[in-house]
Amino acid sequence: MDFVWDQRELILEGFWRTIQLAALAGGLSLVFGTLLAVMRVCPIPPLRWAGATYVTVVRNTPLTLVFIFSTFGLPRLEIRFSFFVFAVVALTVYTSSFVCEAVRSGINSVASGEIEAARAIGLPFRQTLSLVVLPQAFRAIVPLLSSVFIALTKNTSIAVAFSVTEATSILRRLQNQDASATFPLLIVTAAGYLVITLALSFAFSRLERRVAAAR
Amino acid sequence: MKFPIRRLVLLFAVLALVLAAGCGDDDGNGESRAPEVTVEEEVEFPAGSTMAELADAGTIRIGTKFDQPGLGNISLETDEPEGFDVEIGKLIASKLGIDEDDIEFIETISANREAFITGDRVDIVIATYTINDERKQQVDFAGPYYVAGQDLLVREDDDSINGPDDLAGKRVCAVTGSTPIARIRTSYPEAEPVEFETYTECVDQLEAGQIDAVSTDDIILAGYAADPKYEGKFRVVGEVFSTEPYGIGLPKGDTEFRNFLNDVLEDAYEDGTWEEIFDATLGASGETAPEPPPVDRYP
Amino acid sequence: MSDQLVALSKVNKHFGPLHVLKDIDLGVARGQVVVVLGPSGSGKSTLCRVINRLEPIDSGTITLDGRAVPAEGKALARYRADIGMVFQSFNLFSHKTALGNVALGPMKVRGRAKADAERTARELLDRVGLADKADAIPAQLSGGQQQRVAIARALAMEPKLLLFDEPTSALDPEMISDVLDVMIELAQSGMTMIVVTHEMGFARQAADQVVFMDEGEIVERGTPAEFFDHPTSTRAKDFLSKILAY
Repeated sequence: MDFVWDQRELILEGFWRTIQLAALAGGLSLVFGTLLAVMRVCPIPPLRWAGATYVTVVRNTPLTLVFIFSTFGLPRLEIRFSFFVFAVVALTVYTSSFVCEAVRSGINSVASGEIEAARAIGLPFRQTLSLVVLPQAFRAIVPLLSSVFIALTKNTSIAVAFSVTEATSILRRLQNQDASATFPLLIVTAAGYLVITLALSFAFSRLERRVAAAR
Repeated sequence: MKFPIRRLVLLFAVLALVLAAGCGDDDGNGESRAPEVTVEEEVEFPAGSTMAELADAGTIRIGTKFDQPGLGNISLETDEPEGFDVEIGKLIASKLGIDEDDIEFIETISANREAFITGDRVDIVIATYTINDERKQQVDFAGPYYVAGQDLLVREDDDSINGPDDLAGKRVCAVTGSTPIARIRTSYPEAEPVEFETYTECVDQLEAGQIDAVSTDDIILAGYAADPKYEGKFRVVGEVFSTEPYGIGLPKGDTEFRNFLNDVLEDAYEDGTWEEIFDATLGASGETAPEPPPVDRYP
Repeated sequence: MSDQLVALSKVNKHFGPLHVLKDIDLGVARGQVVVVLGPSGSGKSTLCRVINRLEPIDSGTITLDGRAVPAEGKALARYRADIGMVFQSFNLFSHKTALGNVALGPMKVRGRAKADAERTARELLDRVGLADKADAIPAQLSGGQQQRVAIARALAMEPKLLLFDEPTSALDPEMISDVLDVMIELAQSGMTMIVVTHEMGFARQAADQVVFMDEGEIVERGTPAEFFDHPTSTRAKDFLSKILAY
């Protein structure tokens, strides 16, 4: 345990990296996932097909494969960023497909009559979406998004194999330095993830109660 | 539900056949460069010793690397492990009366070598395994049987890196949990360390231009530079900045076994086997065999 | 027919194999109130919905103020803004207050300032008798109250025409008169209205023209007095005898 305590700064640095990965990929996934969901319900067939294809392909691809694509594939296409950016790209590409399906289910839960009413007062497609459909869709999917983001937080640990010094990679490094500290290290690292995911669930359940009151 | 499962089984069977046929085809061009080692017919060891156990079992589990050309590598052509470390393994097996076909080579990567020994997943590890005090707390080492030094592999056309002091701001890749990555971190903090599980991944990234250098033992890097797959793409910088005595890892405390392994190495130094092995593997790219290092029978 | 606001000519509409509108011709003059009657499945709701193109038509023409209905896009949205619509199931935006529902269109479609739009919205809520419910969300309102908010929402766009698609069919009986009172007040104020309904009393009292539909056709049309007292077709007689039996 002394070894773990001595290395607390490095462990915290690892978790800070994990949080950065999750927050960046989470924010970007929310944006791209919503765009994808809008594509999937929009009246232009090629956009609908593109959205559906993206989700079908990406959701059924193992995340590790997406990581290999970004970290080993993109440099071959002369696209070069830091390994951290590659990891954010991989996590965003992957998580967007799940956000998309969550948002789409939210959109489908909005009463069709309200959409007709919005069109009847002269709102075009974009404003119907942004003023009537999406605000209600997001309220409906807060619990769904919560589990998508918790999964994302845990998925950041895949980056250990792709040269990002996040929490799991620090665990591996320290475990290598002192194999006898394996269990203390595992417990501390697992607890770290737990703290992040519990904080997320707590924030989301508060959000859920708030929007429930406003519904 | 039965029908699709049967079809699946059939599919796998066909796949397996195709793969097997594909492998068989390659036999023709798999030239054997390795020296012939004679397997001892009559071996006798003290009862209860590890040597006796292994000799009785008629098999030995050897951990080695599968991705280091010249040292421990599985090439696509032969599908068999080959290289300097592998041949040392075969030599030891032969002294135990074990045929090379009865050796079980198990892939060990830098990060899991101690764990594989302490967890009894292998009997010995011969895998570019640097002897150091930290590791000696968990495992014992016979040897060294070779002394390497940490060096840098860069792209042929990159003249900005000519030694470890040129690494500031450069992305330098080494394997997770290895001595080289730790040394880059501590001794060259201005370099940006990049970690992957295997050196193949590092070299892949170097070829793709995503990183600037791969750093590990000179002899490993020489293997990559000489690999026909990467012909003309990389060069070894040649400024060694560490001493890496390679040892044979074995379970801690088995001094009897350690003495036996050291004896085998010393005999091979004397009768020229060691040099033959070097010439057939690492020396194949033109390098002449150095003097073998004296084994260290530490207390 | 000098001051026609809406004109439908040879309008046809199918739902798959079902021919729901057959060669419909209908003109509505400015300030007129047209009540569309007919048994369920007669196509009267569809007639209402094709006018603001919530349903596209297969053939024929529909014009508002002499202009043909645009097929899609921004032009269609602008066209719809000039036609108010009140639905059977109210369809209020459930995440917005009554005030928010009424002010949304003027702000986002007409581009009016928030304060301005909300002031008008309060006036309209007052006009439908719900001044005190401005901050309530739909879930806190009764059906009759929701429908009156929906009427205020339609009026807020200052429409040239109001469409009512069975506005009282989903209401409890005691709430119907609140809604009908508002509609009669609107009719008297000179609003052009097309009303699909089963409320015969409303038709007698407020309609300038009654249109009777059956099986996708306009079977009979005339003043309420003509239609209710001297129906000519057997189908209309049949319909009226069933409706007025109790």
